[in-house]
Amino acid sequence: MVDSNRRSTIKLLVAGGVGLVIGLAGGYALAPEKLREVVKETTVTVTAPSTQTSSSVSRRLSKDKIKIGVLGIRSGVWATYGTFIEQGARLAADEINESGGIMGSKIELVIRDEAADVIKQARELVDQEKVDFIVGVDSSGNAMKLGPLMPELNRILIVTHAATQRLTEELVFKQGIKHIFRVSVPTYQDGILAAWVAKDLPIKKWAGINPDYEYGRVSWEFFKNTLKALRPDVEFVSEQWNPSPGTTDFSKWIGAVMGTDAEGIFTSNWAGEALTFHKQALELGLYNKVKAVINPLGYSMDVAYGLGKDYPKAQYGTWVSGRYVWFYPPTPINKRFVDAFVNKWGKLPPYSAETTYTAIYLLKGAIENAVTLDFDQLVKTIENMVILSPAGARWIRPEDHQAVYEVPYGKVSSNTTNVGGAVPLLENIKVLPAYMYYRNPPDYGAPLLAQA
Amino acid sequence: MDVLSVIFSQLLIGLYRGSIYWLIAAGLTLIFGVLRVVNFAQATLLVLGGYTAYAIYQATSNWVLALVMTPLLVGAIGLAIEVTLLKPIYKIDNTYQLLMTFAVVLILNDVTKVIWGKAPVSIPLPDMLKGSVKLSGFNISLYILIVILIGFLIFISVIYIINRTMWGLRVRAIWRKREIAEALGIKTTTLYSAVFFLGSLFSGLGGALMAMFSPMVPGLGDYLIVYAFIVTVIAGLGNLLGAYISSIIIGVLESVFTYYLPEIDLLLIYLIMAVVLLIKPQGIFGER
Repeated sequence: MVDSNRRSTIKLLVAGGVGLVIGLAGGYALAPEKLREVVKETTVTVTAPSTQTSSSVSRRLSKDKIKIGVLGIRSGVWATYGTFIEQGARLAADEINESGGIMGSKIELVIRDEAADVIKQARELVDQEKVDFIVGVDSSGNAMKLGPLMPELNRILIVTHAATQRLTEELVFKQGIKHIFRVSVPTYQDGILAAWVAKDLPIKKWAGINPDYEYGRVSWEFFKNTLKALRPDVEFVSEQWNPSPGTTDFSKWIGAVMGTDAEGIFTSNWAGEALTFHKQALELGLYNKVKAVINPLGYSMDVAYGLGKDYPKAQYGTWVSGRYVWFYPPTPINKRFVDAFVNKWGKLPPYSAETTYTAIYLLKGAIENAVTLDFDQLVKTIENMVILSPAGARWIRPEDHQAVYEVPYGKVSSNTTNVGGAVPLLENIKVLPAYMYYRNPPDYGAPLLAQA
Repeated sequence: MDVLSVIFSQLLIGLYRGSIYWLIAAGLTLIFGVLRVVNFAQATLLVLGGYTAYAIYQATSNWVLALVMTPLLVGAIGLAIEVTLLKPIYKIDNTYQLLMTFAVVLILNDVTKVIWGKAPVSIPLPDMLKGSVKLSGFNISLYILIVILIGFLIFISVIYIINRTMWGLRVRAIWRKREIAEALGIKTTTLYSAVFFLGSLFSGLGGALMAMFSPMVPGLGDYLIVYAFIVTVIAGLGNLLGAYISSIIIGVLESVFTYYLPEIDLLLIYLIMAVVLLIKPQGIFGER
């Protein structure tokens, strides 16, 4: 009896000891990241490696390496866009690593194809590659799939291209998923600001030829509703929807619009489909018939290089934009970025390269400010952050984590510049303060519609 | 804008699209009529034609050469496919030949991907074809007119060859009763190869014409073949006149539906096919 009692006591003690060790180890592993050294000063963030980005050099993070997962479309017809995201990410990572890393820690990029099951890729990035952050995402559909998963993955996601306003309005603001941020302009640019451009054109009858999925539908809705409010005299005479991706022949939609008395065309087609659209519209004579064309992503660099000096120009202009255009704003920060990009990749920077570049500097700035990799503190730091980026000052709106900044529209000019190929310049640049066309929380109603 | 001009502009675009469908359906119909093989790869050969024309244009910058050489090259490729892949299995059930043509689709899709990559490619529209013709007050793209014209010429020539030449007589003989034709000493094997060559040649021509207007992407054929099937099903498999008329009808209806009912234009085409199948399962022009 006594013997067995003693034995069980020993057993109990041993078990307790083992439990304690496991508990300690677990607790240690799960404990938030701590600094090896102490912070001295706060920082101001500028996206330039040569400029002093942080005023303190002695600080170090608990990790030697900060791993950033990069998601972009790397296969299929939109594969170029994955390359753009990669180019921006690499430029930023190389610049940062060459000038000492983030508080001494080097950035390591892990690049994955979001077209090969975005959920699987994101899980692998977190579970196997152990990335600290995820940036990128081209497709709105993928962003909406990945968004709700972020709390489970427990990582910050910075979206740099996907444009659906639902990402920030619904997932972040309404559902409170704090893990998602977006540094690129959403569909407000494509639909609402486009209507402000259309308002000043001497055109009453508009037609739309748009890609038949969320982005195309939302852009056209925003365009129509805003323009109707700004100019009650306009009419919308035809609405056409082309499958996307997959349209190579726009003839029947172009023909249908030519059969109406439309004077202006709004098309939110993008990438290769925008290129094909402009060419075929010219060849079928649509450009002779209508007086203006608005294509929100028409100044994406693949389209601009693809059409070059032959970019068709309508009588009152072919109005185009992007989520960043390489010449705006004319600041030293932007100039340095464009030069560095051209130097590294041989062409002018596409918009998603700029947004991804900025996303990585935003993370750098946030980590240097928060002096930790702790999730809650980083989120708090990024909320309300202002970053001076190539596209100008971006303010991260705290309510829905949407970056607020301005991107101009312009008219395709017959003058070109030659940087690794001919690119048409833009003229009659139109910039509007963001508050006039960004939808705002909490109600996300119609943005300020001041009468002109 | 008046109804007439709407119909006119839609009609032309419809005729253009119909003519491209016809260049696929022509080969499909000929090959089915003679070989009793439903050639799944017919539209894939058209896309291959587009890529071939692109390659010739890249090398020579001569679009006329591309337009002439491509049909011959694609015809030769078609011939090679027939001789090496189909001929050995003519003795067994037709289903296997259909499966073989499907294998050809998969192979050609990947071959184009390997050679030309995944990004769309196209030939710039030649300056000569860029102009437009004024026809009773309307500006019509010269390119569109030429495609319609070539489609029509091909139709006339095929009908002529089949109905008015000795070779056509042999083709018709096999078309009707293969066993009797063979008994009369008609060499079916050479005729099969010739028909396959001709069918592939039409696809090649279609591809070369198309590449000047719309870009080629791998897998484009998978989408076009559906339209060609709709056309041949409506026409009745194995009827050339029917195939031409129904290509034009589908092309034009597609355009008209896009104008009047843009939300359901795709659905309507399938609806027409379903109705035809229900009322006249052998197709509008089909016999039996």
